[in-house]
Amino acid sequence: MAADGAQAQSVQTQSAAAPPANGAPLLELRDVDASYGKVQILHAASLAIHPGEVVSIIGPNGAGKSTVLKAVMGILRPTTGQILFDGQSITGLRPDQIVRRGIGYVPQGRIVFRDMTVAENLEMGAFTIADKGRVRPLMDRVFTVFPRLGERRTQRAGTMSGGEQQMLAMGRVLMSEPRVVLMDEPSLGLAPRFIELVFEKIGELKEAGMTLLLVEQNAAKSLSISDRGYVLELGRNRFTGSGPDLLADDRVRRLYLGG
Amino acid sequence: MSGVTEETPAAELERARESGRPVARLPRWERHLGWLYLVLLLGAVAWLAWFPRLANAYNVTLALTVLLVIALATSWNILSGFSGYTSFGHAGFFGIGSYVGALLIFYERTSWIPAVILAGFATALIALVIGYPTLRLRGPYFAITMLGLSELARIVVTAWDSLTLGGQGVYLPILRLEPPVTSGPLIDQLRNVVHNNQNYYAMLLLAVVAIVVSYAVGTSRFGLELLAIRDDELAARAMGIRTTRIKITAFALSSFFPGAAGAIYARHVGLIDPPSVFLVIWSIRAIATSILGGQGTILGPIIGAIVLTLVTEKVWETDPNLYQVFLGGLIVLVVLFIPGGILALLQDRGWLPRTRRI
Repeated sequence: MAADGAQAQSVQTQSAAAPPANGAPLLELRDVDASYGKVQILHAASLAIHPGEVVSIIGPNGAGKSTVLKAVMGILRPTTGQILFDGQSITGLRPDQIVRRGIGYVPQGRIVFRDMTVAENLEMGAFTIADKGRVRPLMDRVFTVFPRLGERRTQRAGTMSGGEQQMLAMGRVLMSEPRVVLMDEPSLGLAPRFIELVFEKIGELKEAGMTLLLVEQNAAKSLSISDRGYVLELGRNRFTGSGPDLLADDRVRRLYLGG
Repeated sequence: MSGVTEETPAAELERARESGRPVARLPRWERHLGWLYLVLLLGAVAWLAWFPRLANAYNVTLALTVLLVIALATSWNILSGFSGYTSFGHAGFFGIGSYVGALLIFYERTSWIPAVILAGFATALIALVIGYPTLRLRGPYFAITMLGLSELARIVVTAWDSLTLGGQGVYLPILRLEPPVTSGPLIDQLRNVVHNNQNYYAMLLLAVVAIVVSYAVGTSRFGLELLAIRDDELAARAMGIRTTRIKITAFALSSFFPGAAGAIYARHVGLIDPPSVFLVIWSIRAIATSILGGQGTILGPIIGAIVLTLVTEKVWETDPNLYQVFLGGLIVLVVLFIPGGILALLQDRGWLPRTRRI
């Protein structure tokens, strides 16, 4: 209990809201409930991401981590609560409208368009870019971040390795020039060296000033590169705090980080 | 730190270069495929336009059937091949189109050309209405729903006999043939042959339009959107694609052709009744043809239509009973051994490039 007390200042249980960095959040969920049919997944989930932050959502299976991202993207409509982007409500908007506002989404399972080439996948990523002259420079920028993709631009995406496909999914989301990127389990099912690479790339995006919201099973790794984290449990906020604080917190370690 | 190698992107890239995995390069001529197709299409149309002068009535009807199947398969492919939403609705659209066309002619509301066009638009309109609820269903649910709706259309047409004459069918006036003109000015000969083979030329035009539309869709951004839906609908939505709208548009576009083809077919056979035009085999033919040629490609349905129609005709000539066994067996073999169809086989061999222009 003494150890818990020592951490209590920085890691808060969710009864007291956590006001993190300064300024207005770029993306904010306020008391969002969401359901699949009759099964309610999210119970008043709240979180905020500020410009330039990397924020992780961690928690056990079924905690509703992915559901948070789907609710933000408009794939799942919240039953109650509000989702704000840049101070404006985006609750109830269609996915395409939300993408156009500047939110990028990398779905779980390194979903690429298998029958399309790498270049075509990236073109799809720029789907919402009205000025087609911008596609070329955007693609070149993706190729500097992910040189491997440049090498394979005419290769069919389905024939690449899992790690390469994840790189493509990450590169593709950048093509829409998002202001914040949501990533669902980017390291899931990858070979260890590609897991390293994924987190390295996330680090590079962060360095470049990108705002990121990560959902990860790989909680320790994810928190170590995050400014802040949220621990969800059964669709409710459980803990919140800075990445290092959550990593150091005994309760979080015991419950979610495997000791 | 000895023995520990650092994973940097540069090292990754180096390994990729060394491993020398094949990176597909498109041949230079791929860029000019559009022009090649234009030349081929014009050549084929010129030859087919002259064909009735060379062939007997049987072969003209056979060619008409090939063109009909090209129109059906190519249009089926626009929705189902590109987006992966397999539809059994073509039989329904074919039946509705043949009835709309036949009844417009029968009740002398319009002459036959507007009747054919109206039949196409009528089915497209129906697709627009039923697409909204049904295209939310995925995979087999959509396929089964379309099968059911086709059957429903047949029952409605049968029961609504005050308008459709029900089960007794609709007879259309017989086309009065002119005696063949084989001498004199070429333009007179041509006018004569067109008059005597109106339905053949109408089907030729419809097949050409279907091919052009299919090429336009397949090489466009719209086609890319459909492919994205086929590969992963969730990811497509994550890209900002309005998937519902795209699917409904493709569905309406796709259903115009069976409707118009049905009207031409009605005129060609002269008598239609619900069991003959609302036959599920029309859907199956479109599907089998596309699968054989290559779903989601531009050339696949065309190649499939030519191969399958001519081969099944030969088998049918030999033994009308064996024909169905043959057709079923062929589909099974194709799905098992060349699931991508003839085109994928050629692409796997490296004889054709992997490009959306194919």
